[in-house]
Amino acid sequence: MAGLEHLLGALTPLNLLFALFGVVAGTVIGAIPGLTATMAVAVLVPLTFAMPTASALILMGAIYTGAIYGGAYSAILLNTPGTPSAIATTFDGYPLAKKGNGDYAITVACLASVVGGMIGALALLTLAPPLSRVALAFGPVEYFWLAIFGLSLIAALAEGSLLKGMAGGALGLILSCIGVAEVSADVRLTFGSHTMLSGIQIVAALIGLYCVPVLIDLVATPDHHLKIEKGSGGYRLGEAIAYLWRDKINAVRSSVIGTIVGILPGAGGSIASLVAYSEARRTAKKGQVYGKGEPGGVVASESANNATVGGGFIPTLVLGIPGTPPDAVILGALLVQGVRTGPSLFTQQGEVVYTFIWGLILATILMLPTGLLIGRYAYRTIITLPKALLVPAIAFMTIIGGYAIRNNISDVVIMIVLGGIGWVLGRFGFTASPIVLGLILGPIAEAGFVQAWTIGGATDDRFAMFFGRPISIAIIVFTLFTLLSPFYLARMKKLKERAHAD
Amino acid sequence: MPTEARKDTGGAVVSLLLIALGCLVIWDTTTYADSDSAVFPRTFAAVMIVAAVAYVLTWLAGRGEDLGEPAGGSSRRRICLIVVMLAGALAMPWLGFLFAALPVFGALLLVAMYDPWTTRRMILYPVIGLAIVFGFYFLFNDVLLVPLPTPAFL
Amino acid sequence: MKTTIRRKFLTAGAALAVIAGFDLAAQPAAAEYPEKPISYIIPFGPGGESDITARLQQPFFKDKFGVDTVISYKPGGGGAVGWAELNSLKGDGYTIMGVNLPHIVLQPQQKDVGYQTDDITMLYWFHYTPDAIVVTDDSEFKTIQDLIKYAKANPGKLTFSGSGKGTSPHLAQVTFDKLAGVKTTYVPFKGTGASVTALMGKQVTAAMAFTTVAANYEKTRLLAVAMEKRHPRFPDVPTFREVGLDIVSGAYRGIAVPKSTPEPIRAKLTKMISDINHDPAFQKKMIDGGFAVVDYAYGKSEQDFMKKMKVDATAAAKAAGMLK
Repeated sequence: MAGLEHLLGALTPLNLLFALFGVVAGTVIGAIPGLTATMAVAVLVPLTFAMPTASALILMGAIYTGAIYGGAYSAILLNTPGTPSAIATTFDGYPLAKKGNGDYAITVACLASVVGGMIGALALLTLAPPLSRVALAFGPVEYFWLAIFGLSLIAALAEGSLLKGMAGGALGLILSCIGVAEVSADVRLTFGSHTMLSGIQIVAALIGLYCVPVLIDLVATPDHHLKIEKGSGGYRLGEAIAYLWRDKINAVRSSVIGTIVGILPGAGGSIASLVAYSEARRTAKKGQVYGKGEPGGVVASESANNATVGGGFIPTLVLGIPGTPPDAVILGALLVQGVRTGPSLFTQQGEVVYTFIWGLILATILMLPTGLLIGRYAYRTIITLPKALLVPAIAFMTIIGGYAIRNNISDVVIMIVLGGIGWVLGRFGFTASPIVLGLILGPIAEAGFVQAWTIGGATDDRFAMFFGRPISIAIIVFTLFTLLSPFYLARMKKLKERAHAD
Repeated sequence: MPTEARKDTGGAVVSLLLIALGCLVIWDTTTYADSDSAVFPRTFAAVMIVAAVAYVLTWLAGRGEDLGEPAGGSSRRRICLIVVMLAGALAMPWLGFLFAALPVFGALLLVAMYDPWTTRRMILYPVIGLAIVFGFYFLFNDVLLVPLPTPAFL
Repeated sequence: MKTTIRRKFLTAGAALAVIAGFDLAAQPAAAEYPEKPISYIIPFGPGGESDITARLQQPFFKDKFGVDTVISYKPGGGGAVGWAELNSLKGDGYTIMGVNLPHIVLQPQQKDVGYQTDDITMLYWFHYTPDAIVVTDDSEFKTIQDLIKYAKANPGKLTFSGSGKGTSPHLAQVTFDKLAGVKTTYVPFKGTGASVTALMGKQVTAAMAFTTVAANYEKTRLLAVAMEKRHPRFPDVPTFREVGLDIVSGAYRGIAVPKSTPEPIRAKLTKMISDINHDPAFQKKMIDGGFAVVDYAYGKSEQDFMKKMKVDATAAAKAAGMLK
């Protein structure tokens, strides 16, 4: 295998210690709503100046992968993605916890994260140079269609009225426009308010729309937050392994999706987990009820988002193009160290690169024991803390976390207001997920559209720009397939029933 | 038309609000200098209006969504929660992080309190609360180096 | 009962807050300054060019003056959120903020963004990233003349990717079109990184980006740089002036302080930044990274520079249709 001789370089006590510390610290930081992987890595940057390059990379890579996994805890236990990457984890993770299976969901998430992380890291180890071309093959129009594909999930996620789901999705897309436009220079939809100038920060919106409504309902009744079953709070490891084995196709497919999406510089962990979730849902086996507490949803989301870690490093190290936002920070730290990434990095500084990749693999493996341990602790804390302490503790965490994303109090105010609005909207059947999808995918769709339209105008063939490129066509076909297959299946079922009746 | 009880009147009212919001968005797009900035919000404002109008029509036809029983519980506590959190956030630039967070924590503790106050709880809860607030304050301020707001009067 | 509990909370909190170490007596004293870490606020997100700039300065603050700098981020509104807040921060010399041009000239003219250009107390403009036309290393365009010839023959067909609108690359593209007598298409991307990715993926013909791009990405080539003299790192790349186009522009970066910062501390900070900017090791890092070091220090030098920049940037933005 490539660079096996550098495995020993990664196994020094110092590097092992960094990997362990990084994973533990990352998991804890990722679990706190508002503290993202990007921030966790940014905090470490000054510490890495004095370190050997490979060790610095291992430390940052470990904290990054830990943070992506840690996001699953709050997604499962509080219905709040700790990092945006964990958004799809809430869809089935929280219903599982509600039913008293939070411990099980956390163990499944841990196993899936390790699987995803390993597949992503192995892709980085063995296939980095060829795979990096994917990063360049995606142009504006491909991002536009990818965002549209993501939006098609609204149809699946809108429980109840599809019209309400559409209105909610459009609302999210509109909310994403607030503030200074990314690719033009207009200030939009602020209506003169300086609070709105910075726009709606996605993490703050996630906390507002998912977590605050949970808090609102939590204070309304004396009932327990999560159903507690007798003897719960164990690992339930055997059960989880058995499930993952049955669902291995989902795990592997999601990890591959995560790796590929991670390579795309314009997407990221949140898109990866949404696409993987969408695919898992579309190919659901008999008896799997997605959205109501199906562990497969957690498997898809968590294996995909941890695979983006390895995937994201591919363009970062091969081309100098950061695959995900934390990669941009790591790239900056490397520049300060005087390390220039690019194709020659692998040939001239192969030792550093391969030592780092092995370190990342070790960190991923370390995530298994530490993740299970911290996960059980987190679960026990949430179920044993009395409500009178749980509510203020979570509320306090959301406020400090919402502030820390951009060090801006406006984000906290927007988060709380959105939470109140979200609760009211949810009460009348306008669920949060379509709005959030619109918010996350809006900027990608808009930038892609404006850019493709401009380039298409320059080549005098906008039609070919939007509908003539192979990757775009493939994404369009997938989108139609996802949108239409439920109708088709329902129709087939009806026809079958009629045939039986005759 | 007789005023028979239609299902989901609230949903229809929200739809009407969304229609109004959509119109407001379209009005805002007319002020942009760059036509590229207007395309997207205008399109999706239109989508939102169309979807909301369609929902209002379904509601008029008496085919509104059946949402089941409204959530029970204390509305007063719900409103208190939001008001306390919002007040804390708005006071933070003046009071600084700690002096805003401590009363918020205490007030929310009272809002979420259903169990009777025993001596043990009266000692234990504030102590745990302080530990949580100061623990997180330390984590954010000193470990993660987040520039938390400081009191304006100090 | 409820009130007593609440009062207990408050008193306990106040007492603990004092124990936790609020530095109540933070009187700015220029003689001992700096005696604690300086908070360096970047009004953009981590990983961007402004962040990397600050990260490059960070070790020099430590080595030369023994002072730690804590870099924090306050992104939003293209930097406007941070700059609008600058003067409300404590002016004790322990808070400094990164500032960018042409942003602070153009933003307040476009819309009410909560600050005016003159509200910002600039201490130093320390470098700029000169605008440059970048192509991939296998591009058919070997020289800037090749590119102009193609643009003349195919009006509107040549596409430039660039970072955002109303930014220095956008204004450079507009000026380029005007001076070269061509019509090109500008495609805005979110940040320089994304615009270079589009270039490397051959989504566009060329990128209107910065000299730093050629220093950071292999497989890219510069055609011309918007500097007065050639960049020492790229001695073979001509300036626009050499080919008869009078373009000298780029994204300037500097450091500002809150208005309430006292004069002695302003002077001391200016001296510190100046010392770093004149350090040979630092200058080498800058040149290797593709930056161009400038020195417009607090006082007349800075004022004259800003006067000129305001005129130039406003005129270019009007030509680009960004300002009415």
